[in-house]
Amino acid sequence: MPKLSLRQAAPTALAAVALLALSGCGFTEYPNSTFNHHTDFNTSIDALFQRLLFWGTIVFVVVEVGLVYTIIKYRKRPGGPKARPIHGNAALEITWTAIPALILVLIAIPTVKTIFETQAEAPAGALKVQVIGHQWWWEFRYPELGIVTANELHIPVGRTVEFELTTKDVLHSFWIPQMGGKRDLISNKTNYLWFTPNADLGTSAWNGFCTEYCGSSHANMKFRLYTVQPDEFDSWAKHQASPAVFSATPAPVTTPVTTPVSPVAQVTGADSAAPAPTAGYVFPRERLETEFPHVIPQTPIPAGLTFDDALLAGGDPARGANEGFMLGGCIGCHAISGVPGAVSEIGPNLTHIASRHTIAGGLYKNDAPTLARWIKNARHMKPGSLMNTIGRGEYDPILKTTNAGGLDDRQIADVVAYLLALK
Amino acid sequence: MATLAAPARATAPASTQSGLWSWIATTDHKRIGTLYLWTALAFFVIGGFEAVLIRTQLARPNMGFVSAETYNQLFTMHGTTMVFLAVMPLSAAFFNYLIPLQIGARDVAFPRLNAFSYWVYLLGGVFITLPILFQVAPDGGWFGYAPLTTTQFSSGPNIDFWVIGLQILGVSSLAAAFNFITTIINLRAPGMTLMRMPMFTWMSFVVQFLMILAFPPITVALVFLLMDRFFGTTFYAIAQGADPLLWQHLFWVFGHPEVYILILPAFGLVSEVLPTFSKKPLFGYNVMVYSGIMIGFLGFGVWAHHMFAVGMGAVADSIFSLMTMLIAIPTGVKIFNWIATMWAGEVRFTIPMKFAIALIAMFTIGGISGVMHSSAPADLQQTDSYFVVAHFHYVLFGGSIMGIFAGIYHYYPKITGRFLDERLGNAHFWLNFIGMNLTFFPMHFSGLLGMPRRIYTYDAGQGWDLFNLLATYGTYLLVIATAVFVWNFVRSRTRGVIAGGDPWGAATLEWSIPSPPPEYNFAQIPTVTSRYPLWDLKDPSWHEGESAHGDTGTPGPSPLREETETHTAKALGIPMPLATAKPAFTAIGLVVMFSGLLFLRNDLFAVAMTVTLGGAAMLIGGLYAWLTSPLE
Repeated sequence: MPKLSLRQAAPTALAAVALLALSGCGFTEYPNSTFNHHTDFNTSIDALFQRLLFWGTIVFVVVEVGLVYTIIKYRKRPGGPKARPIHGNAALEITWTAIPALILVLIAIPTVKTIFETQAEAPAGALKVQVIGHQWWWEFRYPELGIVTANELHIPVGRTVEFELTTKDVLHSFWIPQMGGKRDLISNKTNYLWFTPNADLGTSAWNGFCTEYCGSSHANMKFRLYTVQPDEFDSWAKHQASPAVFSATPAPVTTPVTTPVSPVAQVTGADSAAPAPTAGYVFPRERLETEFPHVIPQTPIPAGLTFDDALLAGGDPARGANEGFMLGGCIGCHAISGVPGAVSEIGPNLTHIASRHTIAGGLYKNDAPTLARWIKNARHMKPGSLMNTIGRGEYDPILKTTNAGGLDDRQIADVVAYLLALK
Repeated sequence: MATLAAPARATAPASTQSGLWSWIATTDHKRIGTLYLWTALAFFVIGGFEAVLIRTQLARPNMGFVSAETYNQLFTMHGTTMVFLAVMPLSAAFFNYLIPLQIGARDVAFPRLNAFSYWVYLLGGVFITLPILFQVAPDGGWFGYAPLTTTQFSSGPNIDFWVIGLQILGVSSLAAAFNFITTIINLRAPGMTLMRMPMFTWMSFVVQFLMILAFPPITVALVFLLMDRFFGTTFYAIAQGADPLLWQHLFWVFGHPEVYILILPAFGLVSEVLPTFSKKPLFGYNVMVYSGIMIGFLGFGVWAHHMFAVGMGAVADSIFSLMTMLIAIPTGVKIFNWIATMWAGEVRFTIPMKFAIALIAMFTIGGISGVMHSSAPADLQQTDSYFVVAHFHYVLFGGSIMGIFAGIYHYYPKITGRFLDERLGNAHFWLNFIGMNLTFFPMHFSGLLGMPRRIYTYDAGQGWDLFNLLATYGTYLLVIATAVFVWNFVRSRTRGVIAGGDPWGAATLEWSIPSPPPEYNFAQIPTVTSRYPLWDLKDPSWHEGESAHGDTGTPGPSPLREETETHTAKALGIPMPLATAKPAFTAIGLVVMFSGLLFLRNDLFAVAMTVTLGGAAMLIGGLYAWLTSPLE
């Protein structure tokens, strides 16, 4: 007596129910869900998916129930009916060809419709954002607003954003699951993706991922998206377009580097000739911790990398700007608007690095101890990283040498203080 | 078979000898099939081990079990091993062993080419697998997208092993394809029209054409990459303006037919098992043949559904969406015909039957998620996430592997003369079934809940933790399942219950001869008068009253009879292909020749030339000796 029936039907039936149930699942437990209707793009996609799920479930039930019923009813048993030598049936063949074909037509039509809708030209007035992929970080530019930043995007709700996707090296793919589908970044090609976050979407933080295998740290090429209210966006954008808050003229630090970032202006070491710019909007760190913990990086600091954290409190941002930033070679790869000579676009733009919540391609938290270790030995913290190992005496796992020169912990503490002053 | 002049020094055909040399020099399709089976199972275990390491690393967030670089090598090798070194050769094991027996032939058309295919596969498999022991295994993914695989971004030897290894393996597959096409066209027993061929042979026939047409594009893609890496050309060099989509199109024009190469043999095996254990003919034989051909044909029209995220434009996306939906129709038709085969039958739940039924159930799930992928906009959420990992493991494990296990349990008695143990077989089946679902079903969820693929780690609290843990537990169940199977496979060779020529009550020619078959297969090549010759022989009235099934009604000149005695070919005066190690020697030459390229990237030009020319000399010498010596 075969127990195939229950054992086979139960898990599969349960799973089907569960899959359906998930469609309306909660945000906090599933913060990267693809089922939500936060944008026009994902509303269209999910409508298609629900259709696919509907017909898929019907086909699943019909086939699996048909299968299980058949093997139970026609199992060989003593006294049971003899097998009938049936070779085929033309009417059945036609029926079970036509019905699936019809179901597929019902899927095909909305599919083609959605393809053309979502790949049409972006509506006029869309906010243009250039996404430039690098191994293994994201460069974001807002060409109309004069902004160059990295790894963290802000966009206003209720306005279409059009992403122009390119890559400086290998293939990458730009995916924010809660916002919609992904689009690849293809070398020597420009791709486009656009969507409109719903106007009633509250100010929120979202995870973004690279979803085309791009080498060693593909898993570590993450980014963050903040959907903010239009006035918050304007504040953020205006500030991001301005030169660095902290200029290189030596001046006493007025606030300790360990205070949390807040939207209230923090003026530190401003040039005496020019008025101190106010810091623009940043997504409140407290809200991240309470409502959006999934966007806070949890990557553990790898073993074998130490730093004397006590030095951080005494870090001198002016010395960091003039000494460490140059001696460490940082100026060779990182641009800081307003710093003469710091124009390199090889690495992320650091003009307002302190306004970001993450570093290293969304991989680590942006705080002093983490930043210090990152500077000391980025290659140890992130496999394959193209950023040099800078710390004195540190082992570079790519070049397989130990640094004779490089910055010592005190110099790194200064650079950290400098970077954290760049709000 | 034409008889050539007898050689001056007669050597006995390989299958009557024993010892290592007899295996190296064998030209017997049954021995070669056995070699494929053992080797492919070994690679299946290796690929499975790679999966265990992957899943252990992903069991928990930020696990730290393996490094990023190691992980990237593991997932590349897992895919490459399973596709090229496990599933395809497992199918090849059946092509080799079964096709001549099913069509009533004594061997394949080119027995030495057959041996050559095996040795090239073995050496190519070792070539591409050995680097992992030195931590320089290929790490560009099994699909090797440019420009990541160019020297600019992959400067180590890893990708060199991959490119050269795949080229070597391609030779093996192409040679086998030519062999089996010729065999099936030319060597069928009298009266066996194409529409009387067993379904496994039919599906295999379609697969050989797929191989001939699909391997050239990947060969071209690999030649371009090889030229770039070793000779400085710029096919994929982005600084010189190359378009990475060139690689993708070439790869997927191969890659999509490849998945039909992977599944159709399993479909064929299921089509043998289901009628046998339903005691009914296959429902809709004609439709099953035509749908197999349609799948093969349409399979060349859907490749860019792997590229829905690359930005081909709305027209291309639409066409490939529609074509992909279209191919679901002949595939679904097969599912219905299989169920109808069991309907009104007497279903016996032997182990092969359980695996065959499991394929129907699991492949349906994989097919449904496949149709979900076919809608390009929806696919933009699904592609490159764990949802697609779930899909293809359902069709490859739930489909190909289940079908292959059905075939192994079904044909093991024919190959060895003994049954696989029933209790161990049941344990294997259930552990496999539960393990497979536990591993891959959760991936549908983690994928649609935003988990990208090909990532070596992930943070907690992303909604993926439970699904990953479940999937890892499932993997460990599969480990136990596989261990049970391997133990059964090895042990039953000597301890299994003895099986006769037709232990299952089956219908086709291979069951009319002893188990294991004599070296000459059939003492008397039978004349075939229907699709189910053995059923006709045992009970001529079995299908009375039903519509014809290709039956002429009159027996031919040498009617089928059940052969129960094993003689030697010599005693019966049947000429058999001679044993020879020339194919193995030639295979070594081919692999050595290709290996020479490796030295070019280390500026060891003299070494490269020596090795390449030495290998070429072996290849040409071996080939010359082979082609100028008589076959039998």
